[in-house]
Amino acid sequence: MTPTRWRRWSNAVGIVLAGVALGLGSAWLALKSPLSAPSQMAGAWRTSVLAGSADADLYTRARIAIGALLALSREETLYYIADHDDAGAPLRSACSYHVEGVPPPARWWSITAYADDFFLFPNAARRYSLNGGTARLDGAGRFALRTGPTADAADPTHWLPTPGERGLLLTLRLYNPDPALAAAPGGLVAPRIRRVGDCAR
Amino acid sequence: MSAARWVRRLLLLLAIAAGVHLLMVWALPRVIMHKVLNTTPQELGAQPGSTAQVYFPPMTDATQRRIVMPSPDLLYATCVFDVSARPLRIRADPRLPGYWSVALYGANSDNFFVVNDRQLAGKPLDLVLVGARGAPEGTPLPAAARVVSVPSNRGLVLMRVLVADYAADRAVVEPARRTLSCEALR
Repeated sequence: MTPTRWRRWSNAVGIVLAGVALGLGSAWLALKSPLSAPSQMAGAWRTSVLAGSADADLYTRARIAIGALLALSREETLYYIADHDDAGAPLRSACSYHVEGVPPPARWWSITAYADDFFLFPNAARRYSLNGGTARLDGAGRFALRTGPTADAADPTHWLPTPGERGLLLTLRLYNPDPALAAAPGGLVAPRIRRVGDCAR
Repeated sequence: MSAARWVRRLLLLLAIAAGVHLLMVWALPRVIMHKVLNTTPQELGAQPGSTAQVYFPPMTDATQRRIVMPSPDLLYATCVFDVSARPLRIRADPRLPGYWSVALYGANSDNFFVVNDRQLAGKPLDLVLVGARGAPEGTPLPAAARVVSVPSNRGLVLMRVLVADYAADRAVVEPARRTLSCEALR
């Protein structure tokens, strides 16, 4: 092969490799935040209106596949996810949070704590969620739960253990939501998320 | 080297990058679903009663790390469908007072069909899945079954049974989810 031809070939290979790298890198950047799918906000909680839907665009479908595979469409189930507290600070498993609110308008609901890899926190007590069946309402009809790395014997609030030091996600599921809420998920009276005390080191 | 050649090279690079980008975003959910559809019953931790067609995974806990955001409040039953050769009949009759549903997912991860206990109003679930071209000629379809045309030949059937307290409800919910059957029509 002549030097000129060799140079042309190496240039062509370089362009192809650079294009592939750019394409892969830009796809990774576009999908690295699965929670950024088109969504509506309710307090600190966001919900993707296209989760599980055949109307989902290319990017939404990919983000849902990464962070919420096998989600149901919003007429069947609404999924709200919080990765920040009400003050806007990222949720951390090493911190304790008080979550309280009124039962949402749905046939059944639950709030589950996940690590930032989208899986449950290991804990010997197998406490992963609070749901419409296990929640105890106070005199004002409100439920409450606490997440954090350690139990507080003085606090009788339902505790969800979040061991370790990593990101924390809270997921609120509403099965068979009220049709008005399914049509406008941003109208949810969202549970409040407030950090309590210092974070574990 | 002329400016025109540099522009051509830049355009070629951007075209390749755009193609790879779109291919990645398009393929990702399909690759993830392909992996799910090819997961074996052993990997799912199938419980007694599982068959080659229907799997009954254990109640979800922190050891479940196959599907993201598993719900710890649901008991699942699942089967993979493939209607490329024959339609598939799906039946279930859990007779539970609480929520249960059966959802169908295509090879691209879309939830293209779901039905729950309230919509069935106490009647058993009876579906026949057929491919986009319909059932093969001569295949008798059960008259009582609802025919669902699927967007892809392969996909997933996922039954969800709400369980508020598994220890207390086990004797009721375990037989209930085992009413799910997925049988190829002959």
